[in-house]
Amino acid sequence: MSESTAPRSAIEASDLVKIYPGRGRRPAVHALDGLSLAVPEGRVYGLLGPNGAGKSTTTKILTTLSRPTSGSARVAGHDILREPDAVRGAIGYVSQGAGTDPFLTATENLEVAARLRGVSAADARARTIRLLDEFGLAEASARPVRTFSGGMRRRLDVAAALVHRPSVLFLDEPTTGLDPEARAAMWAEIRRLAGEEALTVILTTHYMEEADRLADRLLIVNRGRAVVQGSPGELKAALHGDSVRVTLVEPDPAGVRAAIAGVGGLRDVVVEAAGVGGVLAARTDDASAAVGAVISALDAAGIRYGQVAVSHPTLDDVYLHFVGHTFGEQTPAVTEGAAA
Amino acid sequence: MTSVAIPRPAIHRAGWLTQTGQVLRRWLIVSMRQAWGPVMSLVQPVIWIVLFGQVFHSLGVLPQFGEAGYIDYLVPGILMMTVLYSGAWAGTGYIDDINSGVMDQYLTSPISRSAIITGQLVQQQVVGLAQSLVVLGIGALAGARYSAGTGGMLVALGVATVLAAIFCCASTAVALISRNQIALISLSQLIVLPATFLSTTMMPAALMPEWVQQISRGNPMTWAVELGRAGLGGSYPEAAWWQLGGLVLLAALAFTWAVRSLRAYQRSI
Repeated sequence: MSESTAPRSAIEASDLVKIYPGRGRRPAVHALDGLSLAVPEGRVYGLLGPNGAGKSTTTKILTTLSRPTSGSARVAGHDILREPDAVRGAIGYVSQGAGTDPFLTATENLEVAARLRGVSAADARARTIRLLDEFGLAEASARPVRTFSGGMRRRLDVAAALVHRPSVLFLDEPTTGLDPEARAAMWAEIRRLAGEEALTVILTTHYMEEADRLADRLLIVNRGRAVVQGSPGELKAALHGDSVRVTLVEPDPAGVRAAIAGVGGLRDVVVEAAGVGGVLAARTDDASAAVGAVISALDAAGIRYGQVAVSHPTLDDVYLHFVGHTFGEQTPAVTEGAAA
Repeated sequence: MTSVAIPRPAIHRAGWLTQTGQVLRRWLIVSMRQAWGPVMSLVQPVIWIVLFGQVFHSLGVLPQFGEAGYIDYLVPGILMMTVLYSGAWAGTGYIDDINSGVMDQYLTSPISRSAIITGQLVQQQVVGLAQSLVVLGIGALAGARYSAGTGGMLVALGVATVLAAIFCCASTAVALISRNQIALISLSQLIVLPATFLSTTMMPAALMPEWVQQISRGNPMTWAVELGRAGLGGSYPEAAWWQLGGLVLLAALAFTWAVRSLRAYQRSI
């Protein structure tokens, strides 16, 4: 993707490899297998992929928490291996775990976090009050964090990662485990941050909807490698034509594939079985002709199906196209991703 | 709503003392909010003094104890035992931090690794000092006399601090290596009890079998107890400087071990 004003990169990583050595009978794990990426400044950059794809490992390496087995990266202009403290001073990191001490109040947590990162005492106090206000936690500011709900804790974690005014913010699955209301509130916060601050946000997620709504640019990661990159719109546009989706009842994937083998004009056919249900997804340039032909073929083979839908490509389709096909047969992770 | 980020002043890395102070602040708040911990650890030495004082009371008539009686002999031992036992638990906080995710925040911040260790160590010492004062107070109520006065008590408290540093740092190192509460606590139990009984904490060397005497001479617990006893009583053994030097050296080694274990932990993730 060429851009005329060539923005500076907030992050450049090349050929990141991370191998966790095996121990005893446990085999070595290749978490990253040569991943490269470039993140332009001031955007929300999404890392999308199934669990175990290498998203969190990438985040850990870029935040200097973990060292790559090989490869290099620069974050906010600093080399992660040679100048880790400069990187640390420039980033905020919201990991999947808690970032705050449950016995401290929200105010104490933010003040300690700010002072530890070199913010002066007066500035830390002012910054804490402001952040708690902006994240809707002002009323709870004097309560120990262990009394907070999951959504409040998550918002506090994000606030704590911003106390020192970082230029790059890492959010590792920020809405996992949140109820829909808390998730919507977190999305609003992330959008606000992306819009108001000169801040680059790296967001890892396995929720399609989250990536679609929040990310300006997206990198799909699978099995430790970058699969495809682009804006959600570009990725969807790259899949020409429409998507046909048929929900299946107690499907036999091989049988379904055989049944529709004779239907012309279908591309990227994916058949998934998940429990008693399943889905047949395919793309086509002529949806009206394809739907009739698919239904006839299924009827003829005696295959039971439910809903039949035609749509413009969604991020789900992008994901199926690149992950489902590039890496062979459907995996449980693909099924999960498609269901989310 | 106004912007959070602007203006963006240049932020400098906090000085080592500020970092240590903030780590200390965090742990002191935690220990105050979890008051049952320090309170229980104050109750424990009270029980020990009463229990051992009563059970071993008749030992006091033996000539090895001189005129002072057993309680004078026992109190310095209980003082060291108290800081030893609570020091051995110091690592549990790190395992909680690793499991919760707070450790990831430390490790991705521009904070000196030695400040992370030192901040918590100082908190442990503050709690340990409070415990030590309670031990000396209870000891006095139970009839112990500290003939060397305030100066002697300061010597005993200082020695207790060095002993506590050894075991806090060793516990921290084991915690960061094992990352498992049960492994840490089991290992602590395994070491703490023999360390106490294979020393002159409760019994003079002359009353112990030859092999125990041999071991107790090289046991840092013995060094600390004898230094504490000498401080409170005012007469120092010949080996006092060697014993103090040995304790300080062990504390320095244990501290280095703890900081290296924190770095090794980060390399493993």
